[in-house]
Amino acid sequence: MMKSTDTHAGTNTVPAPGAISESEQISTLKQTLLKRIRRSAFVFRVDCGGCNGCEIEIFAAITPIFDAERFGIKLVASPRHADVLLYTGAMTRAMRLPGIRAYNAAPDPKIVISYGACGCTGGIFHDLYCVWGGTESIVPVDVYIPGCPPTPAATIYGFAMALGLLDQKLKAHHHTQGTDEEATLTHPHIPLQLRVALEREARRMSGYRQGRILANRFMALLALEDAAPFPERLQRHLDSEGDPRLSEVFGRLNKIVLRRPQW
Amino acid sequence: MFKLLQEIARKGDVTAEYPFAPFPVSRNFRGKPEYAPTNCIACAACTIACPANALTMTTDPVAGSRTWMLNIGRCVFCARCEEVCPTGAIALSNRFELAVRSKADLMMTAEFTLTNCRFCRTPFAPTKEVNYVIARLVRQRLPQEEAERRRELYETCPECRRHANVMSRCRTLPAQEAQAA
Repeated sequence: MMKSTDTHAGTNTVPAPGAISESEQISTLKQTLLKRIRRSAFVFRVDCGGCNGCEIEIFAAITPIFDAERFGIKLVASPRHADVLLYTGAMTRAMRLPGIRAYNAAPDPKIVISYGACGCTGGIFHDLYCVWGGTESIVPVDVYIPGCPPTPAATIYGFAMALGLLDQKLKAHHHTQGTDEEATLTHPHIPLQLRVALEREARRMSGYRQGRILANRFMALLALEDAAPFPERLQRHLDSEGDPRLSEVFGRLNKIVLRRPQW
Repeated sequence: MFKLLQEIARKGDVTAEYPFAPFPVSRNFRGKPEYAPTNCIACAACTIACPANALTMTTDPVAGSRTWMLNIGRCVFCARCEEVCPTGAIALSNRFELAVRSKADLMMTAEFTLTNCRFCRTPFAPTKEVNYVIARLVRQRLPQEEAERRRELYETCPECRRHANVMSRCRTLPAQEAQAA
């Protein structure tokens, strides 16, 4: 069967059997909890089938560098002590019932945080046979913290948002193509063959992302309107950067340019 | 005891000020993919490269539009989209404060119009993509009139192009065979 558009893009999740929804009374209770909780939030962590990357980052967030415990955020060993339930990992078939049990064991009102890409939507595992989707397929979620895994700083931001201390920064955005909207050409002054050769060599030298960034920097330097000839400009740039790795890559790119006499 | 306190005083405060002060991320940090829809040609290269299917594209043949969607909740911040984007419309930024209360806020969408095929009138390619290709060719010193002539070719869907190819071959083949005989 074809997936519907919403499920395909991950905007809509099918609730798993036995999924819990939140009652009106509990959501009002939650507001009072948020007022009282500020001093100390006890967190219970439920791993529903992740890769443990998220767990490592959660523990990084309570180390002295980030020290989430200065805000009273403390990991506890039982859901019965918890104010906040932290669901990590995609909701797998096998962990569905333990996930629901942990939710039921935590005293009301409680805050549920969905942590990491897998927790938010199922992440990279979203179309696996044993994955129900994100955390919201079994329990009502209050805050989503995306990231793969979220960095400790992003974790602290998510907690602060869940406790109502910080405001949400990310908003949904929609763009509709305007009339006469055209894309600008990238590096229009550089012949295509030369551009391809430069990008290829830069990526070979320093990886797919850095390679592209370096190739773009090199080509911007190459196309720069300047009185000084290019080799002089390049040398000046490399001297100011003082990075031997950059000199190596740019040196090789320069050789490619020199091989083509029109440049 | 005194030695310990001395050591603590020497080390100073290592805890990051965040969230009370901005958190400086490293230069190569891969954060939220920033998307510039005006620069996007809806070529779908990023949606093919995306390993997590955070980037998806759907075509609405009735409305003649193509919708680009980014679900940040699914993104694994690998920067493959940045690598393949021909116009540099998507690039990873250093923004990491992505937590949201509603899942709808994780969606970034953009809608693009499609060009109709000159023969069968079905919408098949984004207008911006066709224009980008022609602008690129003109930049490669292709004469303007030749580029406009090629526009007809680019605004024909693969199906109709194949059909036209076969039909022209059917017309010329008997003549060629007669010549050969």
